[in-house]
Amino acid sequence: MIDPLSASTRLASAGLEAQSLRLRIAAENVANAQSVGDGPGADPYARKTVTFRAAMDRAAGGTSVALQKIGTDDAPFRIERDPGNPAADAEGNVKMPNVNVLMEMADIREANRSFEANVQVIKQARAMVASVIDLLRT
Amino acid sequence: MTGVYLFDLASQQARYLAVRQATIASNVANANTPDYKARDVVPFSEVMARTTAMGMSMTESSHVTSGEGRIPTKPITASQAWDALSTSSSVSLEQEMLKAGEVSRQHNLNMGITKVFDRMLKAAVRGS
Repeated sequence: MIDPLSASTRLASAGLEAQSLRLRIAAENVANAQSVGDGPGADPYARKTVTFRAAMDRAAGGTSVALQKIGTDDAPFRIERDPGNPAADAEGNVKMPNVNVLMEMADIREANRSFEANVQVIKQARAMVASVIDLLRT
Repeated sequence: MTGVYLFDLASQQARYLAVRQATIASNVANANTPDYKARDVVPFSEVMARTTAMGMSMTESSHVTSGEGRIPTKPITASQAWDALSTSSSVSLEQEMLKAGEVSRQHNLNMGITKVFDRMLKAAVRGS
């Protein structure tokens, strides 16, 4: 088991990694909000979801965080009428991705908030280490 | 002869605060993990009571102790948690930040006292 202060930095950086992955997935969803399928009637981009799980970090002696699964949202696709679209089926309907940009924005905000909390923990652990080292410098 | 007890006490509290900081880090890292239960360490007074009264005291430095594991953590109960969404973990980031601030303040106080005590000892040794 490592020193608890190094462990805090390690656990918080696992949190940073998790939140940046979440941000990446949200960015992929937003970028593909209008990506239709390749060919008439084909399925478009399906919204990706990301879940985390608590993972035991033996070296740190604490509960770290790890990726559980990058899945796809199985909500129904939006149907838009656009006969001129190459992805339109025989009736002129196009399947649009099930991405709600507003929801992705909310998710990004939450990821940002959690990311900042982790940064704050790292800063505080560093200040504590610095004050211990400062004891030698009197 | 009781010896210089304050350094022992101060280092014990510093260790306790470090473990608490690690627990907070663990909670914050799992802020978005479904079904994760937030944890906190037991109060310092309880740790002190445990180590002085019931705990095994170490008489030989080569004896094995369970290290940091001696400071136990327990899950936060629903009444202590500020908010617990059913869709997410029971971690409240605001509460964790408050606790981290508390740890930081106590650690600063601890280090300040240790420094002053060290200076006092040095002054006594120098005799000036």
